[in-house]
Amino acid sequence: MGQDFVVVTNNPMVGESQGEVMVVDGGFEDVLLKVRDLVYEGHQLISHPIGASMRMLFSPYRSVLVGSKGSETMEVYALTIEGSIDTFRRSTANRDVDHVNADDYARIDLELLKGAINEHRVIQREKIQEVQ
Amino acid sequence: MNLELRKIEIKDVVFGEETGVKDGVLTVCKQDIIDGLKEDVNVKSIKVDIAKPGEKTRIIPVKDVIQPRIKVEGKGNGFPGVTSEMVQLGSGKVNVLDGVAVVTIGDIVGFQEGVIDMWGEGAKWTPFSKTLNIVVDIEPVEGLDPHTHEATVRVAGLRAAELIGKAGKDAQASAVEKYEMGDIFTEASKYPDLPKVAYVEMLISQGLLHDGYIYGVNSGKILPTLIHPNEELDGAVISGNCVAACDKITTYQHQNNSAILDLYNRHGKDINFVGVILTPELTTLEGKFRTCDYTAKLCQTLGVDGVIVSEEGYGNPDSDLLMICKRLEDSGIKTVLITDECSGWDGMSQPLADTTPEAVAVVSTGNVSHVVELEPADRVIGSAEAIATLAGGWEGCLQEDGSMVCELNAVIGATSEIGYHNLTVELY
Amino acid sequence: MSYKVLYYVNQFFGQVGGEDKAGMAPVMKDEKVGPAMGFDQLMGEEAEVVGTIICGDNYFNENNEEAIKFIVDAVSEKKPDLVVAGPAFNAGRYGMACAGVAKVVADELEIPVLTGMYKENPALDESRAKAIVVETTDSAAGMKNALATMSGLAKKILKGEKLGYPEDEGYFAQGRRLTVFSDKRGSERAVEMLLARLKGEDFKSELPMPVFDRVAPAAAVKDLSKAKIALVTSGGIVPNGNPDRIQSASAQKWGKYNIAGKDSLEGEFYTIHGGYDPVYANELPDRVAPLDMMRKFQKEGLIGEVYEYFYTTTGTGTSVGNSIKFGVEIGKELKEAGVDAAILTST
Repeated sequence: MGQDFVVVTNNPMVGESQGEVMVVDGGFEDVLLKVRDLVYEGHQLISHPIGASMRMLFSPYRSVLVGSKGSETMEVYALTIEGSIDTFRRSTANRDVDHVNADDYARIDLELLKGAINEHRVIQREKIQEVQ
Repeated sequence: MNLELRKIEIKDVVFGEETGVKDGVLTVCKQDIIDGLKEDVNVKSIKVDIAKPGEKTRIIPVKDVIQPRIKVEGKGNGFPGVTSEMVQLGSGKVNVLDGVAVVTIGDIVGFQEGVIDMWGEGAKWTPFSKTLNIVVDIEPVEGLDPHTHEATVRVAGLRAAELIGKAGKDAQASAVEKYEMGDIFTEASKYPDLPKVAYVEMLISQGLLHDGYIYGVNSGKILPTLIHPNEELDGAVISGNCVAACDKITTYQHQNNSAILDLYNRHGKDINFVGVILTPELTTLEGKFRTCDYTAKLCQTLGVDGVIVSEEGYGNPDSDLLMICKRLEDSGIKTVLITDECSGWDGMSQPLADTTPEAVAVVSTGNVSHVVELEPADRVIGSAEAIATLAGGWEGCLQEDGSMVCELNAVIGATSEIGYHNLTVELY
Repeated sequence: MSYKVLYYVNQFFGQVGGEDKAGMAPVMKDEKVGPAMGFDQLMGEEAEVVGTIICGDNYFNENNEEAIKFIVDAVSEKKPDLVVAGPAFNAGRYGMACAGVAKVVADELEIPVLTGMYKENPALDESRAKAIVVETTDSAAGMKNALATMSGLAKKILKGEKLGYPEDEGYFAQGRRLTVFSDKRGSERAVEMLLARLKGEDFKSELPMPVFDRVAPAAAVKDLSKAKIALVTSGGIVPNGNPDRIQSASAQKWGKYNIAGKDSLEGEFYTIHGGYDPVYANELPDRVAPLDMMRKFQKEGLIGEVYEYFYTTTGTGTSVGNSIKFGVEIGKELKEAGVDAAILTST
C-alpha cells in the first residue's frame, strides 16, 4: 500500500509504524515552521497544524500530516499554516512550555496523530487498515 | 416527540444510610455509590465528597459534570448506548434533581485542567459554583491503556449520576417543563409565518480526550446529522472532552443545552425551531471541508432562514466555524456564531485564529486568556499535581500566600460556547 | 491637591510661527501657551498646566532621539500626573509627534497621555493604544469641543476613574477587549441577535471581523531577461540636500530622480525617513533602495534593463489617502514609460 503522506514531528514517540516520519529538531513552533516551508514548496497540508484546545498549544510536541508535492502552493494551505503560526505565537506569548507533563503530551499527540491518519485513510481508495 | 422534565428542587445534599429525597434534601448513601461503580472490574477505588456553594472548596481537575435524573415514564433510563441498552430518547417524563451536579475528577493525563471554586472570585467564573456538587473521584486499576482508562472514568461518572438520580423516583416536582415538537411539516403548518431556525452544534471529535458521543457512537465517525432537540435534552449526547476546561460541553451542559433551551423558548412565538444538527470537528482539512459542506447542505435542505452555530474548543475548530458561516451566508441563510476568543492577557491581540468577512453576527463568550486571581482554598478535592499544572503556566503564577493567578481557560464552563454562561467581551 | 499637567504643542499652536518654524528645536515654557491655556481653564481647581513644550513638527520627526530626550527630561523636571499633546486634528506630522510623545511617556515613563485627532490622521493607529485619543473634527475650528471632551476625560484619568465606552466618552477605541459579565447568557444573546437579523433590525456583533484591503496582483512577467524594471521606495531615500523638500513623515509628495548611468546611490543620496535609525542607510542608501543589486542583475542578464527614473517618498505617517494617490500617479508614469514591473521597497 502506497503512502501519500509524511508525518512532520518532534515527538519522540512517533515512529515508523505511523509511516514515513520527518523529524524536526526543535519545539512546537519549529514543527509549524517546517510545515510552512513544505507548504510553500507546494506540499499538500493534510491535517490542521494546531489542536482543538488551548491546552494542546502548551505541548512540547506536535505532529502534522503533510502530503505530496503539487505544482503550486495552494492558498488555503498557506493561509491555514500562517494562521496557525500566528495563533500559536499569540496564545503562548506569556506561557511556559509544559515540560513537566511532556510524556503525557507525547502520548496524546500520538493518539491524535493516529486519529488524523485514520481520518485521512477514510477517503483513500486503498485498502483501509486501522492504525492500532 | 414529547418530553417532560420534572424539576425536583434540591436545597441540600447530605450523606446518609439510604439514597433518597425528602423535603428538598437529597441523601446519598456513599457505600451504595461505591459498590455500584466498583461493579466495573476496571475501577479500583472510588471516593465521594460533597462541595456546596459558598464553601472555601476547590475541585480540580474536573473531567465531566453530569446531572442526576431518572426517567419515570417512558423508555431510556441512564444513557442509552453507553450505560444502558439502546433506546430511542426524546419522549417521556424525567425526574431531575435540580440544583445538583455529579462532578467527576481523576485525570487520565497529568496536564488535564478544570477547576471549580465554590466561593470567592473563582466562583463567579464557573456556573458550577452554584450547584450542590457530589464529587466522585474515580481511580482505575493499573495498567489500563489510555482509551480504556478514559472510558472507565467516563462511564463511571455517568453511572454515578444514574445511581444518584434514582433518589428522585418518587419525589415531588416543583416545576415541570414541557418540550413538545412534532415533525417538520406539522410544525411548519402550525407556524407558517415564522422564520425557520436550526441550531448547528459543533462537537470536538479529534481523538483521545477530545471526543463526543451520540447514543454511544463516537462523533469522529459520523457525518453531520440531524437530531431532535428533545433527544439531546434527554441524554443522547455525552462528553468525552477532557481538555479545554473553559469551553468543553460537559454532559450536564448537553442535558441542559442553553442554545436548545433558548431556541425552544421562542418556538411558536418568534421562530419555528426546526431542529439540531450535530457537526463533528475533524482534524484533517479534507474532513473539515466535507463536514462544513454537508452541514450547510443539511441547513439548505431543511429550508431554514437562520442558523445559530456554536463551537467547542479553540484553535483548529475556528476554521470549521467560519467555513460553515461562509457557506450558509453565501446561500442566503443568516447566521449567528457563538464562540470564545483569545485576545491575550491585556485583551489587545486579534481575537480569532481565522477571519471571514461573512461573520457579521458573533456572540463572544469571553477571552480565554483573561487572567483571574484565585484565593487559597481551605479544602481541595482532587490532586495537588493538578494545582501545580494550573499554577505552572508561567513564572509568578503561584503566590507565596497560596493564591494563584490563572487564565480563564482553566475554569470549567467559563467561556462556554453554547452560551451557557453569561460572559461577554466589550471593546474599550 | 491639584494635579499637574504637562502640555505639548507644535510651533503653530505654540504661537511661534507657521511652516517656516517647523524645524524649531523644543523649548519649555513655564506659562500656558495656546490650547494649554484653554485646557487649564477647563480643568479649574482640579489640575494645573505646569508647563508647555513647543516643538517644530519637522524637528520632532527628523531629530527623533533629541526630541524624545527633551520630553523625558521635561517630565523628569516637572513631574506631571498627566501629559496632554495636541489636539493634532488632521495634521499628519503633528500627529506623528503626538504619537512619539505618547510612546515614550506612556510606555516608558508610565504616565497617562491624552491627545486628540481626526479619524483620518495617519498617526491614529500608532497612538490609540498608548494614549487616550479624543475624536476631533479635521480642523482647528473644532478646538473648543476637542478641549471640552479632553478636559472631561482628563479629570477621570487623573482620579483613576474607569472610562466609559469609547463611543459614549468620545475617544477612539484602544482595541482592548475586556471580558465582563452580561446580564444575559450567551445563547440568549445569540437568539436575540438572530431575531434582529431575521427582522432586518440593527444589531451589534460582539466580535467584529477585521476587513482586509485586497489588491489583485498583476500577471507575472513572462520573460524577466527582457523586462524593464523600475525602482520605487517608501524608505525616504532622496538626493543629498533633499531638493524637493520631501517630508520625513506624513509625506505630501513624491520625488522622481534620474539614475541613468549610476551603479549605486552611494554618496549622492541619503535618507530623510523619520521612522528608522538613518546611520546604515546614509552609509549606503542601496540598503533601502537596492540599485546596486539591480545593476548587477542587469549586467548578468537576469533582467533586461533598469528604468532610468527612481521614485521615492516617505511611508511613515503618510495617510492612506495620500498613499493611494501617490501609487496611482507613479503607476501611471511607469505604465506610460513601458515599464514591465517595479521593485517597491518599504521599511
